[in-house]
Amino acid sequence: MKRALAMLLALVMVLALAACGGNNTPPAQNNTPSQSDSTPSTPDPAPAPSEEKVTLNVIISQYGNYTQDWWPTFEKDFEDTYNNIDLNVEIVSWNDLYTVVGTRIGTQQAPDILNIDTFADYVADDLLVPAEKYTSAELKAKLIPSFWTANELDGTVWALPILASCRAMFCNMDLLNEAGITAPPTTWAEVDAACQAIKDKFGDSIVPWGLDISTDEGQAAFAYYTWNNGGGFVDANGDWALNSPQNAEAMTYIKSLIDNGYCNANPYTDTRYPLQDAFNAGSQAMMIGACNMMSADSEVNYVVADLPTQTGKPVSMGVCDRLMVFDSSITASKNADEAARLDAVSKFFDFFYDTNRYSEYMVYEGFLPVTTDSSELLAKNAEQFVVGGPDKAPGNSEYFSNFSSILLSCDFYPSSRAEWIDVKQGVIEAEQRICQGEDAQAVLDEIQGRIAG
Amino acid sequence: MNNNRRLKQAEPYLWMLPSILLMAVMIVIPIITVFRLSMSEISRANIVKGFNNFENFKEVLSSPTFWHTLQNTLVWTVVVVGFSTIIGFVLALVLNQNFRGRKFVRAVVVFPWATSLIIQSVIWKYIISADYGSLNVILKKLGLIDSFVNWTNSAAAFFAWECWVGVFVTIPFVTFCVLSGLQSIDTSYYEAAEMDGATFWHRLFKITLPLVRPSLTVSTVLNIIYVFNSFPIIWTISKGDPADKTHTLVTYLYKLSFYSGKSGQAAAVSVIGFIILSICAGIYMVLSLKGEEADQ
Repeated sequence: MKRALAMLLALVMVLALAACGGNNTPPAQNNTPSQSDSTPSTPDPAPAPSEEKVTLNVIISQYGNYTQDWWPTFEKDFEDTYNNIDLNVEIVSWNDLYTVVGTRIGTQQAPDILNIDTFADYVADDLLVPAEKYTSAELKAKLIPSFWTANELDGTVWALPILASCRAMFCNMDLLNEAGITAPPTTWAEVDAACQAIKDKFGDSIVPWGLDISTDEGQAAFAYYTWNNGGGFVDANGDWALNSPQNAEAMTYIKSLIDNGYCNANPYTDTRYPLQDAFNAGSQAMMIGACNMMSADSEVNYVVADLPTQTGKPVSMGVCDRLMVFDSSITASKNADEAARLDAVSKFFDFFYDTNRYSEYMVYEGFLPVTTDSSELLAKNAEQFVVGGPDKAPGNSEYFSNFSSILLSCDFYPSSRAEWIDVKQGVIEAEQRICQGEDAQAVLDEIQGRIAG
Repeated sequence: MNNNRRLKQAEPYLWMLPSILLMAVMIVIPIITVFRLSMSEISRANIVKGFNNFENFKEVLSSPTFWHTLQNTLVWTVVVVGFSTIIGFVLALVLNQNFRGRKFVRAVVVFPWATSLIIQSVIWKYIISADYGSLNVILKKLGLIDSFVNWTNSAAAFFAWECWVGVFVTIPFVTFCVLSGLQSIDTSYYEAAEMDGATFWHRLFKITLPLVRPSLTVSTVLNIIYVFNSFPIIWTISKGDPADKTHTLVTYLYKLSFYSGKSGQAAAVSVIGFIILSICAGIYMVLSLKGEEADQ
């Protein structure tokens, strides 16, 4: 009897194991004939959406410590408004985002809507739905035009901007004043002088300058210093120009910051987050950081200034992340009716970019809006919304007014180009090799040759 | 009657079936998949485009970073396994003695093993940080240094610290493997040796080491596999930087796949690592079988 029971148990285990692999049917075989007809390339006008419940899986990047607290309310409000849409919002940290998305795409479990920074690689594989197919006329009208066209590749817009931020130099004025520096530095020579003064005054206890040339965001340092030395990623014709003499000079300057002991000891591994923490804690005097890097509880007396420049015209860096919609053939939701799915996507975006709701989210996360109506509202009355976190501090109109105007004059990464990932990894590698002692021009020539041929 | 006999004959296989299926699903299928991916063209968005022969291997083998990484991997494995085995063995000898507080010390030795590798790596990263690390602060307070020292001012220094963390977290595993072996040795051997006037070194080399060899072999082989494939320490402390000089094969393939969008090349690196480990395991199997034959 015992033996029979044991064998039965073994059989159940085998069956259970077999059942684990039961959901491997390729999505194309799951489609009914009517589904296979409704691909994203269906020409407009789209067929009428069906009454069947639509599932939308959304991956949102984690922008702050409280991102995951805002979206559940959004999800509930959206589902209350649209009973026939089942919205699943998943918050994924930037550390894991590329891993998660890569794995999901590889296993045909992509989300319907993804919030990430680049889209060119997905376009190259025909994975995205053109933005015109799901963007309502009202929404398109209120998006800042430059942000709409920034998502264009080969004449098609493939994504919507979700938010923007810009970088600026942050200076702890108490420390600078104590070291005898009365104003934020405007040139590299002034940065050196200020760093030396801080070093002389405070020794080991204060880091004069925060520098991040890590694998995570070393390309940002490349942009800050090359753009402000007349160089950059591309030349006036838009061709890759990574090995320009101005770029080599900028890289040599970054190395001098390390060699002179003006920056944090390990810029190769220190990402901007520990640097921001150090600045907020008052143990670092200056750094280039994102507009929302100051924490609400920081007691540092700081000023925000233009990036130090060698050209007389400071160039700041803007960052714009995107929302994009995946082709139904690769998504996990497997909605039966593509027209209904795109209609739900469209409703999602209209709901999200609603003036009040979107403004609330921008204040909550501390980022800059990409719509004209929210920009105007927040420049006048951001105080009606609260910043994410337990303190529930009110928004600051001055912050939005100042940074939104800086944003319009920012340069952006050429991230819509197919070679961008190679360029990004290449310039980080170049920075690190140069700072480890290799010749700047030779390294940049090698990287340029590898990428541009 | 016939049916009963057939059932009896089939019974052992039926018992093994769940394990075999589990191994097939969890081990064999992923291995086959990685081999297939290593010979496939994979887009940056992670879509498999088709068979591309040995292109991924050619790309990987032509990269100087790969060869440097391979060299690092061998150094990392030898140093971590070697030092942790020596220190772990000595520690096991100490913990096998009778002294007050032995249980407490044993519990303390287990801590590094029981704590997550990522947590330990993060803690060590902060200990050795040149700007705010506790090591510098303590040394300065003790008056041993005048100003903060950059303990990781080069790729070699980074890698040396990573090796140290690897050794630190691996010691408990070796210690407890060896300790289990030591406790199975009959004390009468030592009593007889003492009667014959054997010194500590005689007892160590003529009794302890030969008898503890099976435990030591198992711990060394398992350690080689674990350490060779270890990811968290190096990724947490340096992510293979500066300039990809502190990678091992596992962190290198992770960066290739998830930072550079080269999943095909990452799979090729994975296959190369698999082959190296298979050779090591093969040598171990041959040596073990020879040992068994010699014993018989």
